[in-house]
Amino acid sequence: MSVSNCMERMRERFKDILRTDGVSGVMLFSFNGDLIFKEFKSSVNEEPESRDWSLFIESLEGMRETDLIFEKGRIYIRKTEIGYMVILMALFVPIAMIRLNCDILLPSLKPAKSGKKFGRFFKKKGG
Amino acid sequence: MIKNVLLVDDDTEMLHALREGFKKYQESFAVLLAEDGLQALKRLKQNIISLVVTDLKMPNMDGFELLAHIMEHYPDIPVIIITGYSTPEMEQLARKGGAVGYIAKPFLIENLARQILTTLRRESEGGTLHNVSSGMFLQLIEMEQKTCTIRLEEKSGGKKGILFFSDGELLDARVNNMQGESAAHEIFSWDAVNLSIQNGCALKENKIQSDLQPLILEAMRRKDEEEPEEVPESVMEQIEPIGEEPADRLKRLKLRIEQEIGPQCGLEDLYQDEFWDSRVAQLSKAGEFFHLGGFTLAYIDKGDAHDYILMPGQKTTVITVDSKCPRDKILRVISE
Repeated sequence: MSVSNCMERMRERFKDILRTDGVSGVMLFSFNGDLIFKEFKSSVNEEPESRDWSLFIESLEGMRETDLIFEKGRIYIRKTEIGYMVILMALFVPIAMIRLNCDILLPSLKPAKSGKKFGRFFKKKGG
Repeated sequence: MIKNVLLVDDDTEMLHALREGFKKYQESFAVLLAEDGLQALKRLKQNIISLVVTDLKMPNMDGFELLAHIMEHYPDIPVIIITGYSTPEMEQLARKGGAVGYIAKPFLIENLARQILTTLRRESEGGTLHNVSSGMFLQLIEMEQKTCTIRLEEKSGGKKGILFFSDGELLDARVNNMQGESAAHEIFSWDAVNLSIQNGCALKENKIQSDLQPLILEAMRRKDEEEPEEVPESVMEQIEPIGEEPADRLKRLKLRIEQEIGPQCGLEDLYQDEFWDSRVAQLSKAGEFFHLGGFTLAYIDKGDAHDYILMPGQKTTVITVDSKCPRDKILRVISE
């Protein structure tokens, strides 16, 4: 499967979450901290692939679900079989709805069978 | 920040029954009483009121007159009407007049309390901050061109104030019976405040002609003149730091969760644990990267019987809860 097809399929999987009012973006990281997929509704100040996320992902070890609340937004993180799904949203977004959407999405985020592994789509900083 | 709710009714028995009934909500709001519209106006002048609950039929100044006065002079204050003479026309009139709620007597105190809590929650929909320097924070508001209503409470003296912003421009300020620039000077002279932000601004008229910067500078100048001694450096922190008496603070927090949510809150333990500090620092950096502001809380589900709530601070505060607890409610109570 080509990278663009793969991206398209990922977009399709995340479309319900991205359609939720107040959700600004979705990212998927491998367990090593590599950015596998990202989709933002509007442009971001700094592209996430410019940062090394390995320590952040390491800090999620052992966590199945993490809900981070900041002054101006929320980051909801869900462990999947292929890594961590990270959803950026506004504070007003009903988190129960997002959790439900993630529950629905989880079975589709499984490691591809041999020869069809997800590759990294984005280069690491300096890579 | 404890909010003030003003109850207005000429039926004193009713007033006292409400005050007694609302005692269990004292962690969320305090109650002030007035026996008619005129007394209510005095209370409004002397205090920062977050919500008014008023009867309609009263001597001296009735509920409709009071509602009209509030809409004109305090459009940020929501009003809930309670009345024993309810008709559909009256309700329509009250709602047209700006009332956000209308309850016919008799009613259950819990129903009114629920409506009060829901309405008050809107006051902090844009977030809350603890222990910040007001001047520093408000310059950020100006820079971000925000339209919002900010309620502040001075940490040391407990004074309360309110600021109205439209597209980053300060329209008005209020502290007790002061309004406009003098109130702004007073607020900007406060060293550290707790504040809550409500999105939107009910005021339309601009009562302050000066820019924010000169107002802040003038407030500082006046403060320096009053107190020549060294001004403590202001520190902007995301949450109230756990200070010398962490045990008391933890106890208070525990009590608040248990009182607001009841036995089903699933609270198991509350302690400080440095083990989480480095993880919290990493999680916080993700928020910084996406410009989400200060890190206030984390809820962690590790897939076992207990979940964890982390509150960043000098040492991380950890709250362990039953994994079946009403997590959103607990997070809301802790955030308030």
